[in-house]
Amino acid sequence: MEYLYGIIIIVGLYVILATSFNLIIGYGGLVSIAHPVFFALGAYTSAVLSRDVGAPVLLAMLAGTLIALLASIALALPSLRVSGDYLLIASIGFQLGILEMIKNFRFTGGPGGFTNIPPFLIREFGRESYVVLVLAVMIAVILLVWWISRSDYGRAMTAMRDDELAFSSIGRDAMWMKIAIFGLGSGIAGLAGALYAHYFRFIAPEQFEILQSSAILTMVVVGGLRTTWGPIVGALLLQAMPQAISFLHLPPSVLGPIQGLLFTGLVLVFMFFRPQGLVPAKDVWRTVQRTAGKVRENR
Amino acid sequence: MAGVLEVRDLSKSFDGIVVARHIDLTLQSRRVVGLIGPNGAGKTSLFNLICGVVKSDSGSVLLDGAPLDRMKFHQRVRGGLSRTWQHTRLFPSLPVIDNLLIATHDYPGERLVNVLFARRRLKAHDGVARDKALSILRKMGLANVADDLASDLPYGQQKLVGVARALMADAKCLLLDEPMAGVEGQAYAAMQRVVREVAESGVAVCVVEHNIAFIRDLCDEGVFMFSGAIMARGSVAELIRDPQLTELYFGH
Repeated sequence: MEYLYGIIIIVGLYVILATSFNLIIGYGGLVSIAHPVFFALGAYTSAVLSRDVGAPVLLAMLAGTLIALLASIALALPSLRVSGDYLLIASIGFQLGILEMIKNFRFTGGPGGFTNIPPFLIREFGRESYVVLVLAVMIAVILLVWWISRSDYGRAMTAMRDDELAFSSIGRDAMWMKIAIFGLGSGIAGLAGALYAHYFRFIAPEQFEILQSSAILTMVVVGGLRTTWGPIVGALLLQAMPQAISFLHLPPSVLGPIQGLLFTGLVLVFMFFRPQGLVPAKDVWRTVQRTAGKVRENR
Repeated sequence: MAGVLEVRDLSKSFDGIVVARHIDLTLQSRRVVGLIGPNGAGKTSLFNLICGVVKSDSGSVLLDGAPLDRMKFHQRVRGGLSRTWQHTRLFPSLPVIDNLLIATHDYPGERLVNVLFARRRLKAHDGVARDKALSILRKMGLANVADDLASDLPYGQQKLVGVARALMADAKCLLLDEPMAGVEGQAYAAMQRVVREVAESGVAVCVVEHNIAFIRDLCDEGVFMFSGAIMARGSVAELIRDPQLTELYFGH
């Protein structure tokens, strides 16, 4: 049972990561690879605060979310002020830099990782309660992103992606919108990190390396950008695959590289044969409540 | 009389190529100024400088007496400047009505905080904006395509939607970049009527246009540009009659 709970929680967390990354890259059109680093910032902040500072776990989790959000704004502000794809370049440096810092600081446990993280809920209410918590957060995140994408904000995001100069010409501020999207998406990744840390109770820098960036990107691209179901399908598929391979009893030294090959192979196959992903997005933006009837009444 | 928009001694060059040479221009409320001249005269560049799409080397732009020079494009638009584009630049993934709804002066849906926590304000704004958008579309004869995708419309109608979108913000000054290029028939008449009405409502309008008949019928004043400089001003009829300007316009 514990094995199954672990899988459910991992899949749930990846759905959260993929959905929040879809907000950034799909709806916001912002290309970044640093999503796992915000996952790491959330995990490490919450772990350090709760184990070494003695903060209550719930508070530490919120702090982890907040640190990820603030760090993402600090990254986005300078790189989005100048036009061009500087965010991508800056995100690569940020990803590598933060992980190097985690590896070299003593308070983060260094390359060996951070152990003995205080558990949350499990002692009082059992492992099932944590599964429920993660699934609840997952559903909340899916609904939040779905709702934002269909709201007045979704209309603005669509317009900004269509034509940024025209977007400015109607008085809209593209830069702050991008920062808000990036901040929200990264903050959610931080929350996922905090949830990860207090269940598995051990985190290490290698869990947040560039392979994770490609995994999350693959989930969104293979699943389908700018759709609600795309990242969910992508996360399920890409999490099921390594589990399936693990039954082949391959040596662990081969498993990692095979996963990497699978991810890149999948992205390549999809780019050629199904660029819209498994769940294709509609080209037209529509609100939740369609106003066609209202428009006709007014005519 | 001080103008709504004043351009003072504006200059700009790109790697030695001068696109604006000491430009002085005043746009007044209720008046339509036609900016004419051959291709490459710097007409669209002047619009880009006024809007802040391109930064000027020297000189100044004032809207209602307040300098715009340190403001970004979207801030100038919020200050009361509005423009259209030669190639429409509509949002192709949005229906016509949504192209307009998003272009109000204070679209609250631009802020995530409002979307999450100020639902009522959003709804109130949406109601007002929708009525306004429909009334503008109706004036242009476009109410029946409000729900169509902007990119599905014929080009002439897309141009009208571009103007309709620029009208949503209640600007004090409207810059129209070749509104008639590719526009014929019903759309042509609608465009003429709408621009006239906008000016009569108190807006200062400036039109870049190659369609001389449109300029002659519509503009209170003509400004002739050549090689980044203003060569002559006056009534459009006078400018058209000037043999020197005609030669500059058509070349040798």
